Amino acid sequence: MEQSNTPQLIELGRTRETILRDIPDGPDSCLTCGICSGRCMATGIDGFDTRKIVRMAMLGMEEELVGSRWPWICTMCGRCQYVCPMDIDILGLIRTIRSLRNQDDVPGNLHKGIMAALKTGNNFSIPKDDFILIMEDVAEEFAEEEGFQDFKFPLDKKGANVLCTVHGKLPFANTDDMKFWWKIFYAAGEDWTVPPENWEGVNWAIYTGNDEAMKTMVGRIVENMEKLEAKNLLLPE
Amino acid sequence: MKPNTGKGAKVLIIGGGIAGLSAATALCDLGISPLVLEKSPFLGGHAIQFACKATDSCQNCFACSVEEQLRKVTENPQILGTLNSELKRLTKKDGRFMAVIERYPALIDPERCNNCGECFKVCPEADKAAIQEAYSVYNQSRYGINIDRCLYFAKDKSCNRCQEACPENAIALDQDAEKMEREFDAVIVASGFTPADPAEKDQFGYGTHKNVVSALELERILRSRGKAIRPSDEKEPKKIAFIQCVGSRERKRPFCSRACAYALRMAAAIRARQPDIETTTFYIDIQSFGKEFLKTYKALKADIRMVRMIPGDVYQVEGDRLCVSFMDHATHQALDEVFDMAVLSVGLMPGKDNKVLSELLRIDLDETGFFSPPDHTAGRETTQDGIFVAGTARGPMDIADTIADAGKAAWEAARYLITDTTSWRYP
Repeated sequence: MEQSNTPQLIELGRTRETILRDIPDGPDSCLTCGICSGRCMATGIDGFDTRKIVRMAMLGMEEELVGSRWPWICTMCGRCQYVCPMDIDILGLIRTIRSLRNQDDVPGNLHKGIMAALKTGNNFSIPKDDFILIMEDVAEEFAEEEGFQDFKFPLDKKGANVLCTVHGKLPFANTDDMKFWWKIFYAAGEDWTVPPENWEGVNWAIYTGNDEAMKTMVGRIVENMEKLEAKNLLLPE
Repeated sequence: MKPNTGKGAKVLIIGGGIAGLSAATALCDLGISPLVLEKSPFLGGHAIQFACKATDSCQNCFACSVEEQLRKVTENPQILGTLNSELKRLTKKDGRFMAVIERYPALIDPERCNNCGECFKVCPEADKAAIQEAYSVYNQSRYGINIDRCLYFAKDKSCNRCQEACPENAIALDQDAEKMEREFDAVIVASGFTPADPAEKDQFGYGTHKNVVSALELERILRSRGKAIRPSDEKEPKKIAFIQCVGSRERKRPFCSRACAYALRMAAAIRARQPDIETTTFYIDIQSFGKEFLKTYKALKADIRMVRMIPGDVYQVEGDRLCVSFMDHATHQALDEVFDMAVLSVGLMPGKDNKVLSELLRIDLDETGFFSPPDHTAGRETTQDGIFVAGTARGPMDIADTIADAGKAAWEAARYLITDTTSWRYP
C-alpha cells in the first residue's frame, strides 16, 4: 500500500454491504488498542499494520483490502489474535479477505498448487506410479544404511496405527529429508502407512481462503483414513 | 419490631476501605452508630496505599483525603471497628438484621507492639503478604498477620518464628476465632474491588521480569520511598513505560476502570521529583470524567510522552532492563525500545468475595459481577430493603467519586432509618 502525505478522499462503506464487518467476533468490537501491531512480526513490511487492516474492515473498505498486498504479507502465525483483548478473529478476517480475491490473482504458486492438488491429489502433480517408484527407490537406499536393513516402505497398509501424509516437496525434490522421520518411526517400532494417492499433507487452500478446495482435500484424507482403517492421523507439515 | 429509627440506629458497614470509612463518618454526623467490619488487619483498603502525586501543585488525586478520613475514624469514639473479621451469616427479622461475625483477635497486641519490625524480617512468607506492613500512622500496630497467608494457620501450626522473634512478647498466634452476634438496623456494603491480575497477560512478563510492576505496586513504592525506584536493584530508573488498560476493556470485562488518570498523575509526579526520568504512557484512549479533566490532561500531556499503542511484547534485555515492542503509528515501523521499568495499570475488577457476599446478603450482582443495579439511576439501594451499596463494590470509580458515593449511600441509609427529618441539618 502506498504511503502518501496528501490526504486522500476515501469512500467509507458504512452503509455498504460488506461481509468483512459482519464475520463473527469480527472487527466491529475492535478498541484500536494496537497490541496486534505491536505483537506482529511483519509490522512495517510495506507499512504492514494489523490494526489498520481491522479498522479498514470495520469501515467497509473491502475493495481496498482485497486489492492490497497486506493480507498476503501476513504469515497467519496468530500472535496478534493471541493477545487481542477483544478476542477478535483476526486470522479469520485475513482468510476471508484473501478468499475475496479473484483466485487467479493470488500471489505466488499458491493457487497453481491448489489447482494441481485438486486435479492430481498433490501440489506438484506427481503421478501415482511415479510416487510409488520414488518412495520405493528411497526406501531401498535407506535400507542400505547401517541398522535399517529390513526396512520396507509401508505403502497402502490396512489397519495401521498412524496414517502419515507427505509434504509434496519431499518426494518432489528433497527425498533425503524423509529418512529422518522414517528413522524415528523405525526406532520407535511404529506401525504406520502412507496412502498411494491423495497423500498430500500441505493444504494451501487454508492460506488462500479457498474453503471449497480446502474441504475437498481434507475430505480425501478422511477417505484414505476410512479406506485404510487407520487409527491416528499424522499431518507432518 | 421495626428497625430502630432516629438516633441510636445501628448500621453494619462491610469493608474498611475508603468507601466504608467515608460512610462511617457520614453516618456518625447524622447521629447513627456504625460498625466497620474489615477482613484484613488494617483499615484503609487499597486507597490508603496510594501516594500523594503533587507536582509543584496539587493534582487532585485525593490520596491525602484517605489519610484524613482514616484519622477521623480512628479518633472518633462513636465509630466502632472490628478487624480480622468476616461476616458469616445475616438474617432479617421484623426489619432488623442479625449478623454473625467471625473475628480473629489481634494476633499482634497493639498495646505491646513497638513497631520494631522484627516479625516482618523473620517471616518466611513476608513476600507473600503473610505479615503486612500498614501504610498509615493511623493504623494502630504497624504490622498485621494475614490469616489467609500465614503458615501457622495455613499449614500445621509449626511456624511461629515471628512470635519467638518479638522482643515485646506482643504476638500470640495460638488464638481461635470468636463468633459474635450483633443486631443492626441497616447494612452498607463497601467491600471494594479486586485489582485485575496482570500475570494473566503473559506478553507483559509480570511475575517473570522483576522490573515489571503493577500501578498499585508503584503507588506503594512512591508512598513508602517518596520516589520511583526499580525493584531489581532499588536504583533510580532512567526510563519508565506505563501500559494502560491491563485486564480491563476486553471481551470478558469490557468496562472501563475510570482511573487512568492515576497512572498519568504518577508519571507527572515522578517527572516533578526526579526530572531525569523519562516517562512514556502507552494507551488506547484517555477516558475523561468530569469537567476539570481536560485541563488536567493537557497539563499532564505536556510533560509525558504519550503513545497511542499498547505494546505487544515486553522482554528482558541487558540484564534486568526491559525491551518493549510496539508499532510507531506515524512511520508504521516496528520499534523495540529499552526501558528500565514497566508499570501496568491494572483494571478495577469486581471484588473476589462479591459472589459469597451476594449469597449471604441475598442481593443481586449485575452481569459484570459488581453490586450495581442494572439501572444505574436507581441509586445505592439493593434488592433487599435496608441494604445499601457504596463505592467500588458498585463499579469502578476513583477515590473522589468513592468518597462522594459513600456519602450518598450513608444519606440513603439515614433516610431509610430516620422517618422524622424535620430536625435534620446538612452536616
